[in-house]
Amino acid sequence: MTDPAESLSPTSPSLPVKRPQIAALVTEYRQYSHGQNIVDRFLEGYGWESRWHRPKMDVVSLYVDQFPESDLSRERVARHPGLKLYPTIAEALTRGGSRLAVDGVLLIAEHGQYPKNEKGQTLWPRYEFFRETVDVFRASGRSVPVFCDKHLSWEWDRALEMVETSRKLGFPMLAGSSLPVCRRIPSIDMPWGAEIEEIVSVGVGGVDGYDIHSLEAMQCLVERRRGGEAGVVSIQALRGDSVWQALSSGSWESGGCDPTLFEACLCRSQSLTPVDKSNRHTYPQPEDLPQLVSSPPVAYRFEYADGLRATMLLMEGLVHDITIAARLENQRDPLSLLFYLGSGHAMQPNFFNPLCHHIEHMIATDQQPYPLERTLLTTGLTLAGIESLWLEQKPLDTPHLAIEYQVGRESTFVRT
Amino acid sequence: MPNPTRKKLALITTIWGWRSHANHMGERFLNGYPLNGKWHRPQIEVVSAYVDQRSEGDLSRQRAQKHGFQIYPTIAETLRLGSDRMGVDAVLLIAEHGDYPTNQKGQKLYPRYEFFQQIVDVFRQDGTAVPVFNDKHLSYSFEKAQRMVLASKELQFPFLAGSSLPVTFRLPPLELPINCVLEDALMIGIGGSDAMDYHALEAMQCMVERRRGGETGVRAVQLIEGDEVWRAGRDGRWSRRLLEGALARSDSRSGIGLSDGRPQDLAHSGELEQLVENPSAYFIEYNDGWQATLLMLNGAVQDYTFAAKVQGLPEVQSTQFLLPPTPNVTYSACLMGKVEEMIVSGRAPYPVERTLLVSGVLERCLQSRLSGHRRLETPELNVCYQAPEASHFCGAPE
Repeated sequence: MTDPAESLSPTSPSLPVKRPQIAALVTEYRQYSHGQNIVDRFLEGYGWESRWHRPKMDVVSLYVDQFPESDLSRERVARHPGLKLYPTIAEALTRGGSRLAVDGVLLIAEHGQYPKNEKGQTLWPRYEFFRETVDVFRASGRSVPVFCDKHLSWEWDRALEMVETSRKLGFPMLAGSSLPVCRRIPSIDMPWGAEIEEIVSVGVGGVDGYDIHSLEAMQCLVERRRGGEAGVVSIQALRGDSVWQALSSGSWESGGCDPTLFEACLCRSQSLTPVDKSNRHTYPQPEDLPQLVSSPPVAYRFEYADGLRATMLLMEGLVHDITIAARLENQRDPLSLLFYLGSGHAMQPNFFNPLCHHIEHMIATDQQPYPLERTLLTTGLTLAGIESLWLEQKPLDTPHLAIEYQVGRESTFVRT
Repeated sequence: MPNPTRKKLALITTIWGWRSHANHMGERFLNGYPLNGKWHRPQIEVVSAYVDQRSEGDLSRQRAQKHGFQIYPTIAETLRLGSDRMGVDAVLLIAEHGDYPTNQKGQKLYPRYEFFQQIVDVFRQDGTAVPVFNDKHLSYSFEKAQRMVLASKELQFPFLAGSSLPVTFRLPPLELPINCVLEDALMIGIGGSDAMDYHALEAMQCMVERRRGGETGVRAVQLIEGDEVWRAGRDGRWSRRLLEGALARSDSRSGIGLSDGRPQDLAHSGELEQLVENPSAYFIEYNDGWQATLLMLNGAVQDYTFAAKVQGLPEVQSTQFLLPPTPNVTYSACLMGKVEEMIVSGRAPYPVERTLLVSGVLERCLQSRLSGHRRLETPELNVCYQAPEASHFCGAPE
């Protein structure tokens, strides 16, 4: 992959290059927060292919919403003279002036102390940060690329408004999880134009935090199917015993999923908990599963407009990673893979590197690498799954998720 | 009763406790293992075992009871299943871990050669020989290792050996082009000497053996330690550029990165020299005139990475040899998959000469350390072989 920022190189060596300047808006900046992981990669660089890569752009302004005791933003500002902390989003974007004064915005509202609603959703202020950002765009008569970390909002209307606003003002916007672009084991993509019958994911974490990661991982594969993305027509979420019952039913038609896809996921996992702790690695029997999870399992079962069926499973404790498997028409074996997020020791979350690379590319070229509709759809699926759980596992029609889009043939995950 | 349609395997091991190699390598043949998205159950049955030391936490008896195999008091009986004739189709020799003396060079004297001798004695006496896998290096002694390989040639049985690193997942799934012209290569490893440096050396060897002309053997080695390692880097004895390339593949966090999470440019920031407790560099001069380097950088990284300069390719080629986490440690499934391939096909998928050469390189490097870190000529390491063109690591592009 060539360096996207190379395109900004001067045609003549005597011409100075203007490095794009970026504002970062984060809820909190402490070790391991998404704010730290993403913004640090712009400030300090990261390993990319066979180099230490330093983005050819500068984070110049920072807005931090909350300052826990472990805050690192002040340390970063002290060590990076070009970086300044501002008390408001508007000032971070205008750098204390009256008009927009940056070339790109990182909006990272994940982690921090925010209230939860009755459905258990954390009310991350992504929409609010976004509104304040576009207010500055409007007042300045100019817009710049925006990256929004994870799903767009905890509420559908807000998410939709964010997407429509980016359209209306005409700025590139990238959002979502790092999973669609992180390393895969094996390093494969869904064949472009594949006819997919059913897909299953087995992942970690809980609802409203990790469901979005698994959903984005599934979506980045299924959107490559024949005919492109057709949208989702219905969803049902299950929790606890209903999940075990669904799995034991033996098929989608009888309320579960294809067991060979579930097996393929567990066999791509690199962290499958053995039943007998003196064993390193064994394949669990169905009756073993309830004792292996550390919290009640969750399933989102949803059906696409073109008939594709999908089951997202969260099984914290059974596994500690995220795998998917899909049954393709006329293929004997499922396509299956692990989204590689690290191997467990004191490691750098370098799965952020490809995401940062795409953000750099978008800021440098004004082109987003994949459609925002993906994350609009996965946001909608997340919210609908949570809603179904809130309504005691009620099946829901999702006419608002009739989201159609097409992706190109070229893969966007990191392969080199 | 053994199933007649399945190959019968004897497991010869030093110990069989939690985290021993018998536990995570050998038990793949009891429990199966994941392979290409399926739980694969080899058509191979462990029918007998020999366990040299039964320390606290021994699992062998429990396993024998559960899986219905017999533990015998001697290696010969294990191979003959208590009868007077060879009764197995393959042998897994795992002599890693256990309480054994250490020599002056710092090598633990695992009885691999000694076990192997007892195995081939049975082969000779009974007039039949079956495939053998030897876990890790062949012996602490190159001469003994040579005798092992010679015996396998003489008795014409498939013989596979070595580390799991050559066959584990690579991030990215890099394979050097076969017959490439290699200009330089550098490996970064971690862990203790004689156990982990072996893995790093064999990982490097599985990459560099693909160079044009095939493997020609090693003419000299040198092991240096401490500040001399950094000085050698400044003097150009190993390449900073390749260090950067390898470290760019590392997912480790160390020093300030542990307390505040920042990504660290260890190759250029000056932190590396502060973080590494006692660096060592293994210089390996090959008979065809070029040199490869292993740097053991404990304290700075927690993973195994590799970088090489290949003539005609514009960029440095680099990758990480992934060691997936405990308890699954799926690298051992990758290696046992290769053992199964040998048992089923009757052919070792890659030459045992790789392991022979690396066994010798390690022994001579440790001799260099003992001899005041001197460069040692190694005419005896003229081990020549041709690497297989096909890739043998897990997740290799098809």
